Amino acid sequence: MGITRRDLLTATAGTAVLGSTVIPRIGLGATKTLKIGFLAPLTGEVSAWGLPGLYGCEVLVKNINAAGGVQIGEDTYTLEIASFDDEYLPDKALQGFKKIVSEEGAKFVMMLGGDPWPGVQRFANQSKMLATTLLPSDLSPDTPYLLAPCEVHPIYNVTGVEYLARNFPDAKRAVICAQNDSLGIPSVATYEAAFEAAGIEVVDVNIFDPATTDFAPLVTSLMAKKPDIFCYDTAYADFVNLIAQQLHIQGYKGLQISCTCDNYPQIVEKTSKEFMEGFIFQFPDFDDPKLNEPFINFPEPNKFFADYNAAHPGTWTAVSWEYPSIVLQWIAGAKLAGSVEPMQVLEAMKSKPSWPHIFGEADWWGQDLWGINNALVGKWPVVVIRDGKATIAEFGDIPAWWAKNKDVLIKRMRERNQMWDQRA
Amino acid sequence: MEIILQTCVNALVASAFFALMAVGLVLIFGVMGIINFAHGELYMVGAYLVWYFYASLRWPFLVAVLAAFLIVTVIGLLMERTLFRPMRDNPLGGLINSIGLLFILQVLAVQVGGVGLMKNVPPAYRGSLELLPGVAIGNQRLVALVIAAALLVCIWYFLTRTKVGWALRAVAQDRDAAALQGINIDRISMLAMGLGAGMAGMAGALIAPLTRVEPYMGHGVIITAFIVTIVGGIGSLSGAVLAAVLYAFFHTFVTTYWNGTIATMLGLLIMLVVLIVKPTGIMGTRVSE
Repeated sequence: MGITRRDLLTATAGTAVLGSTVIPRIGLGATKTLKIGFLAPLTGEVSAWGLPGLYGCEVLVKNINAAGGVQIGEDTYTLEIASFDDEYLPDKALQGFKKIVSEEGAKFVMMLGGDPWPGVQRFANQSKMLATTLLPSDLSPDTPYLLAPCEVHPIYNVTGVEYLARNFPDAKRAVICAQNDSLGIPSVATYEAAFEAAGIEVVDVNIFDPATTDFAPLVTSLMAKKPDIFCYDTAYADFVNLIAQQLHIQGYKGLQISCTCDNYPQIVEKTSKEFMEGFIFQFPDFDDPKLNEPFINFPEPNKFFADYNAAHPGTWTAVSWEYPSIVLQWIAGAKLAGSVEPMQVLEAMKSKPSWPHIFGEADWWGQDLWGINNALVGKWPVVVIRDGKATIAEFGDIPAWWAKNKDVLIKRMRERNQMWDQRA
Repeated sequence: MEIILQTCVNALVASAFFALMAVGLVLIFGVMGIINFAHGELYMVGAYLVWYFYASLRWPFLVAVLAAFLIVTVIGLLMERTLFRPMRDNPLGGLINSIGLLFILQVLAVQVGGVGLMKNVPPAYRGSLELLPGVAIGNQRLVALVIAAALLVCIWYFLTRTKVGWALRAVAQDRDAAALQGINIDRISMLAMGLGAGMAGMAGALIAPLTRVEPYMGHGVIITAFIVTIVGGIGSLSGAVLAAVLYAFFHTFVTTYWNGTIATMLGLLIMLVVLIVKPTGIMGTRVSE
């Protein structure tokens, strides 16, 4: 019992974002309401990677329900998002997880992951609730019901560095800045490994307090190292914005690479097109024509982008499409299982070594890094800003990089205490 | 050498903002004896007003800054009349009121502007001025520095060269004696609160294009303001300005040459040492019971 890309698209597209072009599916049984848990920071500094995901899910669910809901097994379901703001805090996350599961009756819970996950892990295991994270560094042998089916942060960052090294062979000195948290540090280890594998020297790493408000001293410090490449690591969206402004003011002329560059038009506006030209990051706009390639497992991404921006203008970030893509994957898993019960869906999704990831077929992977094969790893886009607009330059191959540089990444992860067996 | 000079430029800008915040806090404490925990949120309101007037309504930046200053000043006047005056003999009550207001202003900011990415406030003055090869200051920062410095000079002139300023300082030194001299304590308290709040609002307004404008932006700033106020000497305006400059240079240099987290830790450590060794701060004076 497996699922192909075609299966996933037919399973989800008819109920997904096609709106009026779709013939509503009439189920055999009565229409029921199915709640999907959404537990992420909706306020505070990390909310840029929570709230836009909720908006994206709402857009997706609205279109699914408008198209008649989703048929799973004998029943037809309309979807409802049960959300809770975990404020990126473990205790709040536990409170929210319990509410979503016990009171709301959700059948799976999407999370950003990171700092809140340890607060939730015990209850998630006890309740055998299927949960997902965008940060596979949450995975360990102790998280059998946690999947990372979309984002393999920060491993995909290697594709950006690989692209940079291939296209700018003369760039040999890099500096990295990162906020000191569970998003920043594993990303530092990954960038260090990627730069090492590419023969680029990391001349300074500045790990800053997430409470930092003035980035002028940090930029002065890093520019003093005369870098060819400035790496923003996985800095929060607002930090990238402010650091880029400072780099521009202090006259930086080199290459720039980052995990994300959310709301980049603002940065272009505040600096210049010339300054941002060639900026490399990892998250595409969904109006990119390359997302219409046949291997992309997301129905009508361009329309989704338009719907999203019409509903929530100016809020699109890296996560706006990620949580919705997880919803689509879960629907495909539930259809395959013929059930909405968490363990049956999990079993269906893990029944094959590979599964259709949004950017193409991907393998269940992670044993070497996280002690469990619960992350989907395949291709990931490398995005470059050209003339003020983000465009997909290529789809990098993470497994291919891993095959060549596995030891370097594990070494760097271990140096930064980021291997699963080093985490408490 | 370039790094040292660039760091000095960075520190100079930080000094002006720290001083604006700290002087406002000191004015309020000195005259009213209340530690205004909502001072950081007044700074936030100033920034939000510039976002609204300048970035949303497209008013000229300086007009938006002036409007923010005036509106936050009025908020300060209302705070004095409704929250602090009834608690004049109960400093703890005033402090608790200010904490309550802190949360109210944060929630209002969330209601008005939502949460998520920071509010987008584009710089009104683009580009940068190259002072020396490799040493630059952004034009927006330069304008903010000049305005902040000018406001501080105006405050100094007002406090030291005008009768009302003398009255304000007299109340700060000894409220009862000042009252015996015929100084209207209510009016002076309102003036201090309005002026202190306005300065916080002005700091937020000026820095809006340079920082994260979001509902919780007052948190970090109020900690810095407390450090500066305590090191300078609670109640001492000149001490607050001196400590702001010293702390800004210290923090900026440690951040540049070492690490920002270490800089903040050392800043707090210095505050603790001052509290232990010289509780009156650099320029504070001991008050006998």
